[in-house]
Amino acid sequence: MQSRFLKNAVKSVLCTFFFVAAFQASAFTEGTDYVALEKPIPNADKTLIKVFSYDCPFCYKYDKSVTGPVVQKLEGIVTFKPYHLETKAKYGQQASRFFAALMLKDQANGVSLLDDKSLFKKTKMAYYAAYHDKKQRWDGGEADFLKTGLDAIGMSQADYEAAAKDPKVEEMLQIWKASYEVAKIQGIPGYVVNGKYLIYTKNIKSIDDLVALIKELAGK
Amino acid sequence: MDFKKTWKALRTSPIDTLFEWQNQRFLWVLMAVAMGGLVLVAHSFFQIYLYMAPCEQCVYIRFAMLVMMVGGLVAVINPKIVALKLFGCVTAFYGAITGMMYSIKLNGIHHAAHDPEGLFGVQGCSAEPGFPFGLPLAQWSPGWFNPTGDCGYDAPIVPDGVTLDGVQQWFINMYTASDGWYLIPSLKFMNMAQACFMAFGLIFVVLVAMAVVWGIKIARTKQQSIAQ
Repeated sequence: MQSRFLKNAVKSVLCTFFFVAAFQASAFTEGTDYVALEKPIPNADKTLIKVFSYDCPFCYKYDKSVTGPVVQKLEGIVTFKPYHLETKAKYGQQASRFFAALMLKDQANGVSLLDDKSLFKKTKMAYYAAYHDKKQRWDGGEADFLKTGLDAIGMSQADYEAAAKDPKVEEMLQIWKASYEVAKIQGIPGYVVNGKYLIYTKNIKSIDDLVALIKELAGK
Repeated sequence: MDFKKTWKALRTSPIDTLFEWQNQRFLWVLMAVAMGGLVLVAHSFFQIYLYMAPCEQCVYIRFAMLVMMVGGLVAVINPKIVALKLFGCVTAFYGAITGMMYSIKLNGIHHAAHDPEGLFGVQGCSAEPGFPFGLPLAQWSPGWFNPTGDCGYDAPIVPDGVTLDGVQQWFINMYTASDGWYLIPSLKFMNMAQACFMAFGLIFVVLVAMAVVWGIKIARTKQQSIAQ
């Protein structure tokens, strides 16, 4: 009698344990929701890197409605680091240099990259809108392309050229070169947590789902 | 070809008639011409004349169509030779199945790109194209295989300084208004992905029917030889 009672008790404890364990286990799986990069991006602890290109429609869509809210919800957990991919768009290299110079200006001014006052954000959105909404392709060349960005923030060509000469711009561009290997895996936009885990874009279900996944990966 | 006679033959002995057709050239020619023709129209008319740049999945679809064209041309040499017919059949199946898969993927991307609410569930835009078997087609023939268009978009983008003729202008206005290619642009009815799926699907159905007929014919021949 007693032993049966004990057996039942052990059984129910075990059942409860497995039940709870099953629910506590991660809802995300490697290979489906994310992949560990073979070549991790160095010095990227506690960061959320976003690889993007101004000519990528889904980067624009994500930046319009997903990136902002996601980064806000992750404040204090990861720092947001956009990496522009220089190899995709026709003016990819020019755009990368431009974005890097403005990002450094934002940093110096103490402005967050998600703030509406951010020079980087303003120009990025101006390029997105010009390319995707107005279908601008800047057939006039590089100066024509730069004009779109400069006009968006009211900066002169000379001021930009001076800012672009900062050696830190070159440093940043070198760091961004890592984005090519990341982009090759599944295309862009590509979100990378801690420089180690690339999130599979096609399996992102919602903003909250993405936040939960980034939180989990950031703690790994 | 006497249409009435052919119809009667198809009705009275479908297996024999369809098998006979496989061993003749016209169906293989038809497939090769249809597939090659679609790629040619896509490249010459839509891409060059109307400035509708091909997207990534679009160039994969071109590849699938050309595979089917090559298969058809090989079978045309002499469809009575089993090896040639088999080659044509296998390549056509491969092209049709992969083509349908690319079309489904393109349809998903097209939907996510165009729907203001749609966003999740697609992979996004590749940094560079990756063709089956690692074929560097975009390097070999960039004009035909380099995806110069944005993923999910195929609306015309006319370069600065180009003067359009009347016909060109008419078509470009029509496809610009619908923001891309549709079978009936004013209604946004059937996008490029769906139309391609229909083309691949139709050939796939014919291929399956033909393969079944071939199988039945082989089984019958075996039975007959056993009976004898």
